[in-house]
Amino acid sequence: MASFFVLGIFTGLIYSMVALGYTLVYGVLRLINFAHSEVLMTGAFAGYFFLHYSMTGTSFSTPFRFLLLIGAIAVSGIVGAVLAVVIERFAYRPLRRRNAPKLTYLISAIGASYFILNFVGKEFGRDPTATPQPITQNFNVTIFGGQISAFDISVLVVTLILFFITNTLVSHSKIGRSIRAVAQDSETASLMGVDVNTTIASTFAIGGFMGGVAGLFIGMSAQVSYNMGFTPALLAFTAAVLGGIGNIKGALIGGVVLGILMYVPIYWIHQPFYEPVIGFGVLVLVLLFRPTGLLGEALGRSA
Amino acid sequence: MSINERKWPLGLDKDDLRLAVTCFFGGLLLAVMTGPEGNLSSPGFAFQHSIFSSHVYGFVIFGLLLGALSVTRRKSKMGVWELPVSLRLVTVKEKIRTLTNTYPAIIFGVVAFIALIAALLVADFTGPLVPNKLSFGQLLHQFVNSRTYGYISIAEAPLVIRLVRTRLKKSTPAQGSIFSSNVATVIYGLVGGFLFALFADPWLPPRFRWSYFTFGGPSNNAFFHHWTTYLWIVMGGLLAGRYIFVKTSDIRRAKTQRFRRPRAEVSASTRFVMYAGCLFVAVEAPKYLNAFWQSTIYQQIGIFVLLAIGLNVVIGFAGLLDLGYVAFYALGAYTNAYFTGALPIHPPFILNTFFVVPIAVIVAMLAGVLLGLPTLRLRGDYLAIVTLGFGEIVYVLISNLTSVTDGAGGTGPAGGFSINLPGIHYAWSAALTGDLSYYYLLLGFMVPILFLFTSLNNSRVGRSWAAIREDEVAATSLGINPLKYKVMAFAIGASTSGVAGVLSSAKLGALFPSDFALQLSIFVVILVIFGGMGSIVGVLVGAAFLNWVTQYLIFHSFIDYQDADKFMYFGALLILAMIFRPQGLVPSKRRVREFEDEEAGLGSADALGTAVEGPLS
Repeated sequence: MASFFVLGIFTGLIYSMVALGYTLVYGVLRLINFAHSEVLMTGAFAGYFFLHYSMTGTSFSTPFRFLLLIGAIAVSGIVGAVLAVVIERFAYRPLRRRNAPKLTYLISAIGASYFILNFVGKEFGRDPTATPQPITQNFNVTIFGGQISAFDISVLVVTLILFFITNTLVSHSKIGRSIRAVAQDSETASLMGVDVNTTIASTFAIGGFMGGVAGLFIGMSAQVSYNMGFTPALLAFTAAVLGGIGNIKGALIGGVVLGILMYVPIYWIHQPFYEPVIGFGVLVLVLLFRPTGLLGEALGRSA
Repeated sequence: MSINERKWPLGLDKDDLRLAVTCFFGGLLLAVMTGPEGNLSSPGFAFQHSIFSSHVYGFVIFGLLLGALSVTRRKSKMGVWELPVSLRLVTVKEKIRTLTNTYPAIIFGVVAFIALIAALLVADFTGPLVPNKLSFGQLLHQFVNSRTYGYISIAEAPLVIRLVRTRLKKSTPAQGSIFSSNVATVIYGLVGGFLFALFADPWLPPRFRWSYFTFGGPSNNAFFHHWTTYLWIVMGGLLAGRYIFVKTSDIRRAKTQRFRRPRAEVSASTRFVMYAGCLFVAVEAPKYLNAFWQSTIYQQIGIFVLLAIGLNVVIGFAGLLDLGYVAFYALGAYTNAYFTGALPIHPPFILNTFFVVPIAVIVAMLAGVLLGLPTLRLRGDYLAIVTLGFGEIVYVLISNLTSVTDGAGGTGPAGGFSINLPGIHYAWSAALTGDLSYYYLLLGFMVPILFLFTSLNNSRVGRSWAAIREDEVAATSLGINPLKYKVMAFAIGASTSGVAGVLSSAKLGALFPSDFALQLSIFVVILVIFGGMGSIVGVLVGAAFLNWVTQYLIFHSFIDYQDADKFMYFGALLILAMIFRPQGLVPSKRRVREFEDEEAGLGSADALGTAVEGPLS
């Protein structure tokens, strides 16, 4: 029971990083970014390549492992951010320029998602692979009967740091102020001298960075393959809706709550494939009973 | 000196450079896309073998040409580049019009050329399928072999008659006079084709004869098969001629009268002839395909056309987005498997598959309503992701609930269609090749569905859908309940998918979860978008064409193509379609206007609604 609880919390933390990408884009553009799952997948691939080519020896010292992890996070995050900006540039901006209907954005995003997915599948093969582990497997802490590994601790630390940075960025920096301005009213914001295109691109970049890092962790805990992004992204969207879409703290809390809601029942039903089924049930229930989510929808000053 | 102030040669600017560079990299990307498959153990392999090989030249040149062309177009539009008079697009159009007015034969030449290409494609389509990949040169050689000549002459004959007649008269045929209108042309065409079949065929050298190039069809000295073949070819040619004719006359009228008039109403008799002709082609044409295409036309093309017709109601008519469409297809298929006793759980009574169809409709419709009601209450774009999730969940469940669905190992044989009445016993054959009985059954389901959806779209319901798409608030104020109509469209789409599921499972027999993978829903979305959302003709054409292309490329591609790659191309196609032609190949006129209006800031073109407006403090 406790171990499922712990599993839920730490998986939920990873989901909340992905959920942040959905939340930011939804807050600014009022759109579900269907291509976000591919940002995650590409981040995982970037992390795989970085670790695969830098971990050539057999034994590594602890500081070197630490550096490897930092490097992998940076590489995955930057590749994710670049891909997110590229998606925005080619799948969204041409439509935004001519003020196209919302339906076309969704379809173009689906197209981008399937293009990237199968392009990566074609170029790097379609077999799943395991990522080399920079984090030691020999460290475990037991709290209330639940085992917490070094991997879990690093997920927790990285997620909290990244969320803190993002929150600070959005609520206290200049770019954050322009993001909030565009989220409120992009036309007025542009009249006030905010460069809407740059702001939207930077929103995608922030979400993409988080998505890429989340991809790295998913790749390390499971396997890397061209179609790995789909289910986590779907669950992360659920987390974003659960926490209140457009709400940064909501993404974090929604992710953790969703993780717990998904994994604790597995303790009783012993069927791991029910995990996405429960996640989907949560999505439908949230839409039925509290469509604004736990914390409400806002990309606000304090959020 | 910043980059904006720098003097560029030839009046070029930064955007031109960007356009050209984009096109260049687009060419490179295309080269990589069409290159060899890679693998993770040597990740650079695929790139290296597509970029650093002769393979790349064609695509780079294509990219550069495209770039040059778009820059030229942009500059001449802006008036920066004064193109020579002879190259200006307006002048070229003007010249063409003068020429064609002076020499009608030019029009004939152009039409003949188009007919020639079409005939080549038909010839290749029905020809023997070579089960290995051909180079482009071999492909061209196969195009230009003897058996295509027959098709060319036949395809062109009716066009010749039609065009020469109209061009000689230089006016439209008198309205009302039955023998000068379309009916007469049809009769001429039929008689001509019949006479051609009767007299010309035996005189032709053997390699030009019809019997030489019909492979799958019953061709051995069977006179009646000959003339039916000519009939449908002639009919198709006539319809094409009619279409081209209407268009040119329409353009001419628009040019002279200086205001846009709707295209001439097609008279009821013409419409009847057109429908009858299409039906005739649909019934007759498959008989003359070879065995491979006869088996493909049901499972690959027919079922997907039916799915696309259903999804068109959701995307095209109601303006919603359903990304889990295959889930309802799976529901229909597994309902059939359940009621015919193919699943580990046994039904209370075994049913004939004909009686499963209404049950599958109800099951899929109920699932649609249950899924649509909570979601559509909110905002339309949530429907997309909820259906996406639903599609995935159904897939996960049918793969894993082994005690109910037999899981990945596949079910037992689901029942096929059969009639068991006293005195009449007939079972539709599930044979893979050389049997069209399921195709005709599918046609029997499809034609009523088509008529139903057409009339639905022209009824009060269709008008309500249009009103909700274009302005939901105004529609509500007129007493239309948006939720009701949205859920209705969603449920109608779902039930069509359920019917397709029953039809598919009846022919397939054993069901495997992999037949219901989520990417099939995306594929159906692509079929609808490519053909033209909201346009039934467009969806039919688009679905048939794309399905054919995917099958064709597997065997005939001159690029490195595998079936798994198709979604890469389709993804790119979706983005390009949304950027350059969101209305699709054969657009619905109303949808085009909606897109234009929304882009101009008037009304909307979908029923996804606006987001919840509120203080975002």
